[in-house]
Amino acid sequence: MTWWHRLFHRRRHEEQLEKELRHHLDLHTSDLISQGYSREEAQRQAQLALGGSEQVKEMCRDARGTRWLEELLQDLRIGVRVLRKNPGFTLIVTATLALGIGANTAIFGLVDALLLRPLPVVKAPGELVLLMRGDGRGPALSYPDFTVLRERNEVLSDLALYTQAPISFGNNVRSEVVLGAMVSSNYFDVLGIKPAFGRAFLREEDRTPGAHPVVVLSHSFWQSRFNSDPSLVGRTIVLNSRRLTVVGITPPGFDGETPPMKVSLWIPVMMMSTMRWEPRESETRPDPLSNRQYENFGAIGRLKQGVSITQAQAALETINHQLEQSSPPPPEQRFDSNVDRSLRLIRPQGVMIGPIREIALTSSRLAGATVLTVLLIACANVANLLMARAARRRKEVAVRLALGATRGRLIRQLLTESVLLALVGATAGLFLAYLINQLLMAFKPPFPPPFTFTLDLSFDVRTFAFTFLLAVVTGVIFGLVPALQASRPDVLPALKDESNAEGTRVRWLNLRHALVITQVALSLTLLISTGLFLRTLRYARQIDLGFKPDHVLAVSFNLKLQGYNEAKGREFYGRIVERLERLPGVQTASVTNVLPLGFMSLSTPVMPEDRDVPPEERVFAGDVSVGSQYFETIGTPLLRGRAFTAQDTINSPPVAIVSEKLARILWPEIKESGEALGKRLRVGRSDLISCEVIGVAKDSRNNIFNRIDKEPEPTIYRPFAQNYSALASLIVRTDGDPRGLISGVRSEVAALDENVPPQNLQPLSETVSLASWSARTGAAVLGVFGLLGLVLAAIGIYGVMSYSVSRRTREIGLRMALGAKTRDVIKLIVQQGMGLTLIGAVIGVMLAVAVTRLLASLLYGVTATDPVTFAGVVLFVIGVAVLACYVPARRATKVDPMMALRSE
Amino acid sequence: MKPKSDLPQGTLDLLILKVVALGPIHGYAIAQRLEQVSRGVVQVPQGSLYPALHRLENRGLLAAGWKVTDTGREAKIYRVTRKGQTQLETETAGWQRLTQAVSLILKMSEGGAG
Repeated sequence: MTWWHRLFHRRRHEEQLEKELRHHLDLHTSDLISQGYSREEAQRQAQLALGGSEQVKEMCRDARGTRWLEELLQDLRIGVRVLRKNPGFTLIVTATLALGIGANTAIFGLVDALLLRPLPVVKAPGELVLLMRGDGRGPALSYPDFTVLRERNEVLSDLALYTQAPISFGNNVRSEVVLGAMVSSNYFDVLGIKPAFGRAFLREEDRTPGAHPVVVLSHSFWQSRFNSDPSLVGRTIVLNSRRLTVVGITPPGFDGETPPMKVSLWIPVMMMSTMRWEPRESETRPDPLSNRQYENFGAIGRLKQGVSITQAQAALETINHQLEQSSPPPPEQRFDSNVDRSLRLIRPQGVMIGPIREIALTSSRLAGATVLTVLLIACANVANLLMARAARRRKEVAVRLALGATRGRLIRQLLTESVLLALVGATAGLFLAYLINQLLMAFKPPFPPPFTFTLDLSFDVRTFAFTFLLAVVTGVIFGLVPALQASRPDVLPALKDESNAEGTRVRWLNLRHALVITQVALSLTLLISTGLFLRTLRYARQIDLGFKPDHVLAVSFNLKLQGYNEAKGREFYGRIVERLERLPGVQTASVTNVLPLGFMSLSTPVMPEDRDVPPEERVFAGDVSVGSQYFETIGTPLLRGRAFTAQDTINSPPVAIVSEKLARILWPEIKESGEALGKRLRVGRSDLISCEVIGVAKDSRNNIFNRIDKEPEPTIYRPFAQNYSALASLIVRTDGDPRGLISGVRSEVAALDENVPPQNLQPLSETVSLASWSARTGAAVLGVFGLLGLVLAAIGIYGVMSYSVSRRTREIGLRMALGAKTRDVIKLIVQQGMGLTLIGAVIGVMLAVAVTRLLASLLYGVTATDPVTFAGVVLFVIGVAVLACYVPARRATKVDPMMALRSE
Repeated sequence: MKPKSDLPQGTLDLLILKVVALGPIHGYAIAQRLEQVSRGVVQVPQGSLYPALHRLENRGLLAAGWKVTDTGREAKIYRVTRKGQTQLETETAGWQRLTQAVSLILKMSEGGAG
């Protein structure tokens, strides 16, 4: 029998104890009767010999060792009774705690999904490690280095290779782009994944390039595109215009090793060249499988039994170090001091895309700090309420102390009550957290497909455990001080109903004041942070991007996936622009190699032709190649000179348009940007092209990597015809809502080549809005919680002032009897409240100065100590506090002096 | 009434274990048996018998079950567990060592050694 067994069979035990003692008494009684006693006397004697039944039972219960639990149950019963007797109090406290705890549960759920949750479906995810570079880059290995690391190490049971890229999937009706992965044949073995249907890859599929056109599909891809047709295994599908045989389907729930990106299919890495995998601009690089400079592969390994991640890292780094000695790093990394090429192992947990994980870390810290602050404010409120109630319960407590209850026992009972409150609040908080999470999902970053961003925010065991623990800790935090206060054994005055015992009152109120001050300070800090984000948002809306995203539809293509060569690609882009221009509602259309504020930015060294510049001093400029009506379409003003025309072809003399900034950097001597016209420059990394400047464009964020707050960089524009890119986007300026053109664009593309999938077909404004996503989310999350904190603080001030007024009824009555006017009384009360608020505000401002500095990286257009925000929020908080004081103050003036004087 | 001795601390558990070790038995019978065997010298305060039984049961030295007795009533019958048996043996040995030592010391003082 275990203690919980005994506890849960408590009633049966009680019955059995009763029965056992009864049995004893009966036997003894009959023995005594047989010795000649009368029945009554015998019963009396037997009872006497045994002692008081209740005492014996109590001792037996003690002997059972479940005493503390039984007391706990008793406390819980008392607690439930007390709470049910004060439904109003219980409701307010529960609601307050539900808000505080619910917010924390919601954010924990998010942090869990973003940072903690292990890779789903795989076997023993704790043994898996991803190989990253010391500076956090990954995937960043070359294939030859991977094979060396795999063969020479003795710390991993095996190491698998992967690399991801968009891949076009043609299904004869309409083609689309999905995220695919190229992997070594042992990939699924390392992860411990058994296919739901068919097989994983075979060893021989890892040997000969191009020999095994096979593919494994993810369960969700198979479900959504092939209606879970089991006969698909063995048939072929078309990927990047190649036929591949489906050999297996993964078990449900597995979407690759880097959530939240959903990988839809896996192909042996030996198919890389055949599949025209390399999606970036083509350089004249050799086969990626033999090129040590092509570092786009990731590796995931499984630790051998008993090998720690630190040991494995050290062992792999030794091999990596030897590799580094034998070959120089890729050229673009050679002079960059931020590059750290050592190897680092990390466990796949939560979101594994480096930059997203960085954002997740920052925002988790921020959100965590915010909700903890809200919880602290809520705790302060509840503590205040409990103390007010403890004042009313002093008599009950005094009676219990007088009857011999120990102080510890009493504190335990009061704490049980507060933990009970917290648990009820936490239960309500779970529902609230569910709602908050639904809301949070609305703020998920709107990544364009195929980069489907999936985040499972459903509660798991960890979430429940966290909430339960938080509730218990919360209950103790807000319950301890009131319990200590309430159980102080000053029995006599309490019994005599001297509720105004001077000494105690002053000390109690001081503690309550401290709580109000804390609340004001904390909510002020939250609101100031919110204010800064709101100002950032306002700035983001007013910012001059340098282009006009409204009314522009954008669509991207990667013609290399379809095997287009340069001539064919040029023709495709030329003809599609013509077709789109003819669509009704289209003003202009053009082509460009890079979309503003998207997920790509290109740069190239530029130098003036009339001066010799050493390589390390070359200017790097944004490298944008554009079609003829680009500037009208994107909305970037051309300040001087002419735009590109159809006459600027591959055979005509090379020309360029520079941004104002580039003009000033290249030719510092010019006073007016027009002077740059006609000058010549050289552009490119290795084979320099000499161009004539034919125009100057206004500075614009046309080549900035998805950060709206980055200043425009110097940019060189070249004709698309003279600087072709297989990876390019079309932009279309429309009369009305650009969404109206989506289907039109789709059918024009299909009419030209049905196998070319349009990617990221969406209004340009969405790309731009993604660039201010972090500020918007920050403002929304902080704003909601900041207001929540303020409401709680206002309730706190109101509660304290009401309590204070109720305690001072007599004094106020006396004042009014002596001739004080309504105004004087209000002033008296409000002044007291304002005193607290102002102290809180001062502390809050100091706190905010310290805290907002940490937000600086997320803010732009506004300093972390923006005086407007600070002043505005302080005034706002004071206003709310005045209101919270005024209501009880009004009530105080309604006091009837005679009643007040008699009342005590 | 005969003169009674107070039981030294901790001996009640040992005595109960010993009595129960002789065969399964219920509470009232234990009290009677103790009184009879000790010829009335040891009278167990019944008030502390049951807490002691529950304590021993809780420590796993005794096991208990309900049985219908000859009189047709249900009684809680205790028996010694394996662990209880071991405990009894160790404690018996310990007790004997102690009493021997104590009686040696007492004899010594009678003989007026020195």
